[in-house]
Amino acid sequence: MHRPVYDVLTQTVATPERVALELPVAGVGSRTGAYLIDFAALGLFWVAVFFVVSMIDAEIYFEARALSGLLQGLIILGVFATQWVYWTACEVLWGGQTLGKRVVGIRVVREDGAPVGFFDSAVRNLLRLIDFLPAFYALGVVTMLVTKQHRRLGDIAAGTLLIREVRVDLDRYVTAQPASAAGAAVPNGPIPLSAQDTELVLSFLERSATLAPDARQRLAASLVHRIGAALPEAERAAIAASWESSERFLRERLRPGA
Amino acid sequence: MSESIAQFVMRRRPDWDALAELLDRQRAGTLVLADLERLDRLYRSAAADLAHAQAHFAQSDAHRFLNQLCTRAYGAIYQPPKDRLGAIRRFYRREFPQVFRAQLRYVGASAFLFGLGLLIGALVVLLDPNGAELLVPDHLREYIAQKKMWTDDIFQVTPGELASSQIATNNLTVTIAAFALGLTWGAGTVFVMLNNGVHIGSVAALCIREGMGGALGEWISAHGFVELSIIVIAGGAGLMLAHALVDPGELPRGQALRRKGTDAVKLVVGCAPFLFGTGFVEGFVSPNFPAVVKVVLGLSLGIAFWSYLLFTGRSPSPAPALRARGARVARP
Repeated sequence: MHRPVYDVLTQTVATPERVALELPVAGVGSRTGAYLIDFAALGLFWVAVFFVVSMIDAEIYFEARALSGLLQGLIILGVFATQWVYWTACEVLWGGQTLGKRVVGIRVVREDGAPVGFFDSAVRNLLRLIDFLPAFYALGVVTMLVTKQHRRLGDIAAGTLLIREVRVDLDRYVTAQPASAAGAAVPNGPIPLSAQDTELVLSFLERSATLAPDARQRLAASLVHRIGAALPEAERAAIAASWESSERFLRERLRPGA
Repeated sequence: MSESIAQFVMRRRPDWDALAELLDRQRAGTLVLADLERLDRLYRSAAADLAHAQAHFAQSDAHRFLNQLCTRAYGAIYQPPKDRLGAIRRFYRREFPQVFRAQLRYVGASAFLFGLGLLIGALVVLLDPNGAELLVPDHLREYIAQKKMWTDDIFQVTPGELASSQIATNNLTVTIAAFALGLTWGAGTVFVMLNNGVHIGSVAALCIREGMGGALGEWISAHGFVELSIIVIAGGAGLMLAHALVDPGELPRGQALRRKGTDAVKLVVGCAPFLFGTGFVEGFVSPNFPAVVKVVLGLSLGIAFWSYLLFTGRSPSPAPALRARGARVARP
């Protein structure tokens, strides 16, 4: 039976190494967050431009009419830069991320999992204009809600999608064990915990400090009964009787080879 | 198999950390040739570990970690070659004019729509005395009634810059909209092309009727031709998207759209620098230079632009095909 890596929507990519990669798809919420951050950054840029232009303007305007043409050209360049260049350049040079996407932890990739290329990014960012219609990305959001992988029209035309970056800390497997036992395998111990049980015990131990004592005791007892099913009933009950002995038991069972 | 998840992580982790470190350096661009072999070996072993985790430790953090690590490595290893300056040169020397010629019928259709609009606008104004009130915006009619060019004032109203930039940002918006609205199954593109034609046709006809044709001709002579060409080309790109949606042939709509979209966007991106060129001419040359200069400049720009599109890159290609599908290895 194949079980997915994530409990969220994913896009599966088959690599030439014959392993399936599963890309967790970013939803409307994180995409909106990323957009708002980019929008604020570009807004700041325009506020700065406005101040500079209005300062220059009054001084030299009447003397150098030609300059106003130049300035006009610069402003067109600025509009184009904020409407299109910023998004495309960031996505191509920063591995599919703009400022906002980087903060939120999402990135644009092609649907085969490869990094986004220049023309892919060009398509999805030129079509921003359509996704924005009739106002505030209404069309884009509706498309994201009805398409399978939360893609707006620009993504569909470009063949791209947004994936989440997930932070995983592997240290938890080591730090949860009793200090003395780390790395030392115990031969002939009971069968190792299944991956699910390991994850369950680990998340419980990590959260145990924040639980109320009676809730903690109750959860620990039921875990002891689940993990130690091979032990005699009376022995399990003795371990589950106090938090300290339950914790020691659970940590012991996390030890490699235990 | 009696290895626990923690044992597995501890045994294999040095290799994963080494791979992650190589990937960081790949991103920073500090990989050397000797690293490539290590990268390849570490990636393969991480992929094997991922398969192992998939089978034995499904949905654990180790599984998620490996999935993420392999995704990063896969992206780094299987990315298209990075040859940016060379790619830009190739694009403008060969690819853009070639794509343009291959898609000429769409540009032709777009030009037809624009011409139709021009004709309608001009005829309505010339044949019907009240036509101008219908089609030409009020503020333009006021100027024309006083025998003045509105473009003179654009550069005299303070704070001029923000107001005057509107004509050119307008061109930019029209260009992008003509392309992007192709996604409305073509309706939006058709509207943009017709509407712009009607607008320009009616204004031109009114100017001619009021004896200001010369002033208008002088104003647009330097930049007008190339600028309108670019809008027509963008309209053609929009019609390509529309064609893929209306008649995708044997492909699913999404796939047809992607295929046409890649070529269509090349037309738009290819035009972008020329659009800036005309924006510069419009802002800098058109208001400041005598008519002769503008007419000569406009003619030569128009001829240069169109001969570039029609005649560049016709010689047989010097075999760039090999790199497209072959081994895509990240460059140091």
